[in-house]
Amino acid sequence: MIEKPVSVPGFAQFIKAQATRRAVLGGVGATGIAAFLAACGTSAGTKSGTAAGATVTDLSEKDKTLIVSNWPLYIDVDSKNQSDHPSIDGFTAKTGAKVTYTEDVSDNNVFFGKVRNQLAAGQATGRDLIVLTDWMAARLVRLGWVEKVDKANVPNVTAHLRQALKSPSWDANRDYSAPWQSGFSLIAYNEHVTKPVKDIDELFTRPDLKGKVTLLTEMRDTVGLVLLSLGKSPSNFTNDDFNAAMAKIQKAVDSGQVRKFTGNEYAPDLAKGNIAACIAWSGDVVQLQFKDPKIKYAVPDAGITLWSDNMLIPNKAAHKKNAEAWMNYYYDPAIAAQVAAYVNYICPVDGAQAEAEKIDPKLAKNQLIFPSAETLSKSHIFMGLDAATEKTYQDAFSKVSGG
Amino acid sequence: MRTRRWLPYALLIPGILWLAIFFIAPMFNLGATSLYDPNGSLDTGYRMTFHVANYGDALSQYYPQFLRSFSYAGIATISALIIAYPLAYAIAFKSGRWKNFLLVLVIAPFFTSFLVRTLAWTAILGDNSTFVHFLHTIHLLGPQGRILATPVAVITGLTYNFLPFMTLPLYASLEKIDPRLIEASSDLYASAFTGFRKVTVPLSLPGVVAGTLLTFIPASGDYINATLLGQGARTSMIGNVIDSAFLVRLAYPLAAALSFMLMAAIVGIVIFYIRRAGTEELV
Amino acid sequence: MAQAESVGGDLQLVHLTKMFATFTAVDDLNLVIPKGSFFALLGPSGCGKTTTLRMVAGLEEPTSGQIMIGEKDISFERPYRRPVNTVFQSYALFPHLDIFENVAFGLRRRKVKEVKSQVEAILSLVELDGFARRMPAQLSGGQQQRVALARALINKPEVLLLDEPLGALDLKLRRQMQIELKRIQVEVGITFVHVTHDQEEAMTMADTIAVMNGGKVEQMGSPTELYENPRTTFVANFLGQSNLISGKVFERSDDLGVELYGNRIRVPRSRTSSNSDSLWVGVRPEKINITLADRPIPAANVIPGVVTDASYIGVSTQYLVKTAWSEELMVFEQNLLNSGARPGDSVNLSWDPAHTFALDANQDVDAGVEVPEADS
Repeated sequence: MIEKPVSVPGFAQFIKAQATRRAVLGGVGATGIAAFLAACGTSAGTKSGTAAGATVTDLSEKDKTLIVSNWPLYIDVDSKNQSDHPSIDGFTAKTGAKVTYTEDVSDNNVFFGKVRNQLAAGQATGRDLIVLTDWMAARLVRLGWVEKVDKANVPNVTAHLRQALKSPSWDANRDYSAPWQSGFSLIAYNEHVTKPVKDIDELFTRPDLKGKVTLLTEMRDTVGLVLLSLGKSPSNFTNDDFNAAMAKIQKAVDSGQVRKFTGNEYAPDLAKGNIAACIAWSGDVVQLQFKDPKIKYAVPDAGITLWSDNMLIPNKAAHKKNAEAWMNYYYDPAIAAQVAAYVNYICPVDGAQAEAEKIDPKLAKNQLIFPSAETLSKSHIFMGLDAATEKTYQDAFSKVSGG
Repeated sequence: MRTRRWLPYALLIPGILWLAIFFIAPMFNLGATSLYDPNGSLDTGYRMTFHVANYGDALSQYYPQFLRSFSYAGIATISALIIAYPLAYAIAFKSGRWKNFLLVLVIAPFFTSFLVRTLAWTAILGDNSTFVHFLHTIHLLGPQGRILATPVAVITGLTYNFLPFMTLPLYASLEKIDPRLIEASSDLYASAFTGFRKVTVPLSLPGVVAGTLLTFIPASGDYINATLLGQGARTSMIGNVIDSAFLVRLAYPLAAALSFMLMAAIVGIVIFYIRRAGTEELV
Repeated sequence: MAQAESVGGDLQLVHLTKMFATFTAVDDLNLVIPKGSFFALLGPSGCGKTTTLRMVAGLEEPTSGQIMIGEKDISFERPYRRPVNTVFQSYALFPHLDIFENVAFGLRRRKVKEVKSQVEAILSLVELDGFARRMPAQLSGGQQQRVALARALINKPEVLLLDEPLGALDLKLRRQMQIELKRIQVEVGITFVHVTHDQEEAMTMADTIAVMNGGKVEQMGSPTELYENPRTTFVANFLGQSNLISGKVFERSDDLGVELYGNRIRVPRSRTSSNSDSLWVGVRPEKINITLADRPIPAANVIPGVVTDASYIGVSTQYLVKTAWSEELMVFEQNLLNSGARPGDSVNLSWDPAHTFALDANQDVDAGVEVPEADS
């Protein structure tokens, strides 16, 4: 019963329509016994080895290889050969490092279950670079499970990281991480079945939307937008603010306004009109709009949330320098534009927009890929949470969302 | 010959090792985890405090989900039985040379993934689907009524997904029935229906028991159907709670305690059921 | 033998025909089975006897013709509405019911009261007292057979059908059950229609036997009549063994004079079933005297020959005797009368004309010789 939802042959068209990196049914994915066993394997109570002590000899010079774990469909592909990635070929040509690129991150929680035991026990994960969403990246940083990036090796990151992404609360100086791609959480609606929905209050109360609204099971995405609708900032809020947001969500659920909480599977429902409006990820919206221009999005005046999937170097990575070279390489605006042309999320690299202009002017104008400073100014990054708070919030949210 | 007496035991070793490594050890670990301090976290570590209260807490918080799981699974099992019995009967007795073809059709859904099959139901039961429009037209559903994201959808999904597990054992037990027994019953003044009730049904009971168990047990622990076809908290089953407790909330002791209770409850229900089915006068 | 209380009557099959896709299993069968008789349908596998039985039981529909019990036409009556019960081949006991419930099955369906006393009485009749709460699988073959019988008999049918009821039993048990069945039939007085391919079984039990072949009745009569005076080569060979010798009629008077390769013998007219001049002349092996060539000949019909084989089998000695025209005739000699013939001896075979029968020569001489083991 535990089946990996990635790449399902018979259903290819249905799934491929949502060919974004979240198109993998996040929360549903793989759990059950496998995860159980993984969770049991560790002796609880061991805290990780400290960051400093976890370093091993860097083999980068002698062994010109690099092992990368990323989300599916999150990089450029050769139009003739789907398994070939031109930008990676470029990296190898430039640095001489051979890359083993694996798309084995389909869900933050599931991936965490995969590597938790090794990292907690101070062992290598067999990966040099992994890509995880803010909050999960924050957890790894907090637990001391990732290596500090040597800034001297990543001048491009220092130079080209977009201003809005420079200092998330959980890694204020970007000492441990660099965004791979970013995205907004915003409101999407299907104009075939509803008139425009402009903010959370409409989404939660408009009678014509009753039972035709979904929210996201990712706590930060849903709560973040609701906090904003209450005039609070997701980057800095109190327990009371959180409780007020939860009360607002609970009310919408109790009234029957909200149909359910979903992972990525809201996308086909939105496309078919089973739901009229929802909280959505920007990359999905780009993809849906490509097929049906009547799928619209709204940026509420109160603001939206901005999240990133971040490159991290796990402890005991054998090829740290090569991983840093990779980070640096992908922060070259030309390379970033090359990736942006294939991926529907926000490019975190300044200067890539100008490069994208050369590839496809329409691409460079898309506000969900190269957002203007004005759009970005409305976006907020969810603050980092300590373990206890995270658990408290997550428990409260699960009660409402049905976990 | 004497030297060979150890051989049968030696042949068991791989099986025992396999069980020890992949079943007993994890079970032990899970049992231990269920007794850890519930306030532990990845940062502070999890300490073994023999916190038996984890079980009580888990039960008092989540008994509605337990009850919901068993009632959904129960309804799905009964529905599957009602659908599968005539199907298995037809295949066993009426299908002639189509028998093998029909059996392949019964198994055919296994050729695609469980997840995809369940997703397909979102299309069948969707608000704008032909089926739902039809229900609106005949006023079986009110204008605001829907099927998707309701308990009905979850139970439909469970019924569909586990139907082959019901059909195959039923077919196997029906197919074994000697047709002369049916002739004998009609010779002894039983109409076709009485003969079915007094001979066919009792003789197919082993298949009914096997089929209902094979349906009920996985359906009780399922969480995919509730996730994809349900309505969040209103339809969440115990599998959803365990899924979220383990992966999202990192509440390992709670998740372990819930898992153990689920296992215990299922074993209890199964033993009760088998006893009843076994000792009761079958007719 | 017939019981006064029953209202039914004889079982009649009128022009009964059953055709399956390509062949005719039962071909225009006409039979009257008298009420209260023990009737056997005897024939080899595929002769149509089981199909006939199933039509009477209602498990097959006739293609044409009628089945009557007394005045009542039951040809298309549902099986569970017929006053007919069946003892199935290999019994078909309900494995999920104990002996009591198996036997009570028919009573319960008809909502009869006082089930318990009736079941006990019938179990006692078949000598299975104390077995009521056993399950069928715990019983031996013979015991299961009795349960099957009791389960059918308890319903007091007009007609009881038995489909190879003893086929699954070993020889000794079969003998014992034959006598038992006959005893029970006499006791209950119900019409028994017994289907079998075993001629000895049929002859032991039945009042009347109908020998079937190819969907038709070859000959019907009492066991003695069929054995002593067969009217076809099939019956002559299928029931016991016969020596059949080709002959020509040379004289017709009170009896017939027939020449068998130059040997003149006599056949009574009443034992001749053909008007043709070409005949098969038959005589049973045990009716023949064997005497060495130089000894007196004890009977009127005589054929000389040479002994080719003699086997001693206890109750008798079986000889094969080769005639001048190279036909091997079989002779059974009781061990009371020891002729002392040995292989190679010249002998005279002689028998009483009253033991001779004559059949139309226009038939296969070997019909009915090969008796297959199983029935369809």
